[in-house]
Amino acid sequence: MRVWQPGGHLTQRRDAPEIDDWSWARTARRISTLASLTRPYKGRTMLAIVSLLLATATALAPPFLAKLAVDDGIRERDLDTLTWIVIAFVGAGVASFLTAAAQTYFTGWTGERILADLRNKLFRHLQRLSLGYFERNRAGVIISRLTNDVDALDQLVTDGVTTLVQSTLLLFGTAIILFLFDWRLALAALSVMPLMAIATALFRVRSSRAYRDVRERLGLVTATLAEDIGGIRVVQSFRREGRNQRHFEEVNAHYREANQQTVVLNGLYFPFVDFLSALATAVVIGYGGWLASQGEISVGTLLAFVLYLANFFDPVQQLSQLYNTFLAAVAALDKIMEVIDEEPEVRDNPDARDLERIHGDVRFDGVRFGYGNLPEVLHGIDLDVPAGTTVALVGHTGAGKSTIAKLLARFYDPRKGRITIDGTDLRDVKQGSLRRQLGVVPQEGFLFAGTVRDNIAFGRPDATSEQVASAARAVGAHQFILGLEDGYETNLQERGTRLSLGQRQLVAFARALLADPRVLILDEATSSVDIGTERKIEEALGKLLSDRTAFVIAHRLSTIRGADLIVVVEQGRVVEQGTHDELMTKQGLYTSLYGDWADVA
Amino acid sequence: MAETPAYRHTFVRLLGFLRPYKWSLAVSIVLAIGAQAAAVVAAFLTGDALEGAVSSDDRRTLWLVALAIAVTGLVRALFMMGRRLIAGRQALGIEYDMRNALYSKLLRLSFGFYDRHQTGQLMSRATVDLQAVRFFLGYGLIFFFQHVTTIVGVTAVMLVTNWRLAVAATAITPLIVILAYRYSSVSHPVLRDVQQKMADVATVAEENIVGVHVVKSFAQERAEAGKFARRSEEVFGRSVEANRQRATYVPLLSFLPLIAQAAVLLFGGRMVANGTLGFGEFIAFNILVVMLVMPLRMLGMWIGQMQRATASGERIFEVMDEAEEITEKPGAVELPPGEGRIRFEHLSFEYAPGRPVLEDVDLELEPGRTVALIGHTGSGKTTLASLIPRFYDATTGRVTVDGADVRDLKLTSLRRKIGIVAQDPFLFSETVFENIAFGAPGATPDDVERAARLAQAHEFIEDLPAGYDTVIGERGITLSGGQRQRLAIARALVMDPRILILDDATASVDATTEAKIRLGLREAMKDRTTIIIAHRLSTIALADELVVLDGGRIAGRGTDAELLRTNPVFREIYEHGLLEREFAERVEARA
Repeated sequence: MRVWQPGGHLTQRRDAPEIDDWSWARTARRISTLASLTRPYKGRTMLAIVSLLLATATALAPPFLAKLAVDDGIRERDLDTLTWIVIAFVGAGVASFLTAAAQTYFTGWTGERILADLRNKLFRHLQRLSLGYFERNRAGVIISRLTNDVDALDQLVTDGVTTLVQSTLLLFGTAIILFLFDWRLALAALSVMPLMAIATALFRVRSSRAYRDVRERLGLVTATLAEDIGGIRVVQSFRREGRNQRHFEEVNAHYREANQQTVVLNGLYFPFVDFLSALATAVVIGYGGWLASQGEISVGTLLAFVLYLANFFDPVQQLSQLYNTFLAAVAALDKIMEVIDEEPEVRDNPDARDLERIHGDVRFDGVRFGYGNLPEVLHGIDLDVPAGTTVALVGHTGAGKSTIAKLLARFYDPRKGRITIDGTDLRDVKQGSLRRQLGVVPQEGFLFAGTVRDNIAFGRPDATSEQVASAARAVGAHQFILGLEDGYETNLQERGTRLSLGQRQLVAFARALLADPRVLILDEATSSVDIGTERKIEEALGKLLSDRTAFVIAHRLSTIRGADLIVVVEQGRVVEQGTHDELMTKQGLYTSLYGDWADVA
Repeated sequence: MAETPAYRHTFVRLLGFLRPYKWSLAVSIVLAIGAQAAAVVAAFLTGDALEGAVSSDDRRTLWLVALAIAVTGLVRALFMMGRRLIAGRQALGIEYDMRNALYSKLLRLSFGFYDRHQTGQLMSRATVDLQAVRFFLGYGLIFFFQHVTTIVGVTAVMLVTNWRLAVAATAITPLIVILAYRYSSVSHPVLRDVQQKMADVATVAEENIVGVHVVKSFAQERAEAGKFARRSEEVFGRSVEANRQRATYVPLLSFLPLIAQAAVLLFGGRMVANGTLGFGEFIAFNILVVMLVMPLRMLGMWIGQMQRATASGERIFEVMDEAEEITEKPGAVELPPGEGRIRFEHLSFEYAPGRPVLEDVDLELEPGRTVALIGHTGSGKTTLASLIPRFYDATTGRVTVDGADVRDLKLTSLRRKIGIVAQDPFLFSETVFENIAFGAPGATPDDVERAARLAQAHEFIEDLPAGYDTVIGERGITLSGGQRQRLAIARALVMDPRILILDDATASVDATTEAKIRLGLREAMKDRTTIIIAHRLSTIALADELVVLDGGRIAGRGTDAELLRTNPVFREIYEHGLLEREFAERVEARA
């Protein structure tokens, strides 16, 4: 059973599990990865294994006791013995109940514990990775490592392993018991096995293909539905109802066709297995009855054969169904291991130290940079920014403004040259100590699900309510926050969608202000908001920028004009820098870009 | 069981989905019963054979019985095959029908409905709830009948054979049904909880990955890992709870049938010993008791499932029963020819009773002119514009387009003549071409390119990897805000609309992009009535005339020069935006 998750259709796996590496080294690593997770829970793992073995053994007892009841009790008309055997029968049932309960509990507990640990471990690892990793990979894919892939493992760890062991033991256990009873009859009963094996093998291949189709096409149905509901207003505005309905029916019909395949496969396979089971019983009755009439075997043995055969084929079916779960889990495990193997590109040097309280002098010395193996995008940036300066980065989209900002926050390291704060190379300090003194305000004010208070106190979780309120007041957000239904305790939905764009911006400002960074990096929003909000944002900006070194990727004219230093970036180079007035006298790129309105101002 | 009248009503309505399949349902049930009957016959045959094996050594009879068992097995397999194929087809048919019906209803529901409901909620109904219902209607009912008839039939056979032993054997069976039902109902909320908590984990994961730059900037990795771990532990806690239930009920449900078997062994054995029961019947009893186990367990599960399916059905019917607020009148007519004269006649509108958004708006827009609606957030601009394509109906008063009341018009003929561009336009995961031709199914590549050129989009489209055939959106490449905006404009223009509505269409792009878009718009607005809703003065400047809205009323109308003198709202916007406007105009002049 599932609940609908927003964006779920994006992370649903639509590709079939494909495992190309079955080498020993790889397999050993997979096993050791899983085994290392059970290590802290050795005791419970052992209990799980022991109870599993006991549960399987006790499950095999009842038909054997039924045989004894017939042979030693009923046939001998020995009612005392019969009573004792039935008591043993119930006793075996109780033992089976207790061991099965223990087994379910311990395997379940260990399985869930392992998964929780794996999730946490994976998450912590993801957080260690550098920004580059997140920019190279789609968010949906990364999220699905933590959700879908851990889920796929869940099925293996909680159910799969148990089924695998139990089914195998039951299969061999039953076979051994049958052979011990009478090898000839056992051989006769198992004569249908080859047919069973062939049918199962055929079924497995076909059905795994068919179910993959079903999953893919159901994914398409869900995605279409999600998109059309999301865009319903556009659909109705453009009167596309008819065509969309036809399209949806088509997608839906495709899904039905794929499903029809599985209906046919199941409809053929399962009755066939049932028939084989009947056939085996017929053989046992015919041949076994003859043996019994000859006195070669007891009639109780014959009954035991019939009873054992009734459930003999279940493990075969379960094992064949497990195969797909198993493949999916291995594929998931591989993907998870791939993430765990990923090393952060930006790492703290072994001898990195904590950065002392920043004064705020920032220097770029001949900084060259390119993403990954891609061509260089910054070709030698030199900047000297004294503490307390507001720097406006201007230039066309793609000129390299954001890249400069990211390097300053040390989300990446330069290929050549160096960046220093107060004379210290960023590569010589611990990332945490740098970023704690740095404030980064992203463009559209990314907020988290949680209360307004939590969002403002994001960078300083220990801040008092008073401090939170005073930061909000300083940027002019206090008023509207009080207007929300629960004030600072109002719960924001994911990404703070309940707030308007401008309000989100103000909360993001308050968050940055409360963290009281020594150096601020700000990407101004491009969106225009209504006039009242616009005013507030401008005032808040003034507050935020005063007394600290600030790099602003500027879009507002007021910000550009108010900056102490304007840096014009063009194709990865600083082409001009200076104050507004200085740049105006140069009659360079800045003048041609922004100069026109200067005469108006 | 909560058997309220409403519950029963929903249940009966759900059964209505079976109507087209009543014959296949009947055949399935007959086949299912046939298969079970074959199994009962096989049980007695086995009993006979074993009895024969001890009492005589008539080999021929023995082999005949064996053959009969094999034939019965074959018959049973054929019955099952037929049942599976027919019932499976029926289940898929029901699912298909329901999904289409729900989708078509969703298409017909009006804007008002979508204002009140979130996509997630609706998706949940169309996926999770639908799943529960279709599973119950598709397979559940047949299994239900099969199980009930098996239990009744097998019990009856046992009673007829030996009522004393039958009573001893079945005494415990009601307990199995009750426990299975209990398990099904106690585990469901816990399992749903696990899923819900998983969704919380996914939320934190998503936020931290999408917002990774914020987390890193504030060096909050540790705190976030703690948050994630707490959510993760909650999943663990609930999972362990679910596991505990499983560890109690599942082994118990395996254990109870053993008691019934033990009763057969004990009492049946005694009866055989003192000659009141045939040995063959004794064996048959042993097999029949085993046959009862599965149906008993499933019966309990199905009762639980049925309740949940009905609850899901209720949620689906809630959507299906929702009134379609905007529908065409029976005698609706085509939009008369004209140039796009729009009149709002003493119009008022409220989303919720008693809270008017627009009050007594009386306004006439001349054909071919461009009007900017301005005012603070919440002044009613967007609402006013959305009454023209009849996304909502006016509470009092009326809207006419070229003399016709919009409520008298066919929706297609009205909306196909109105092009709308929103602030954050929704594009579909299709090719650029399909997105532009979205509202004009017959558009040729030439039409599409012309519209794209007008919207200043042609150039960047050509630069995309596959030009007009590039797939965009979730399954394709990501476009920037400005690019999406221009595609939306092209999409509106390709229909050659009589009326163009630009609702904050340039708000989320930077000044340079806005200038480019504006350039396209100037051209596009020719010969159409255009309504612009905007904050930027530079965009407002495209208008021939301005209408100021304040608190749902018209607070002023005129050119910017006139309003600057008379209207304080406009003056505020003007003074603040002057600089930007000048800037924008120069950028445009250079572009």
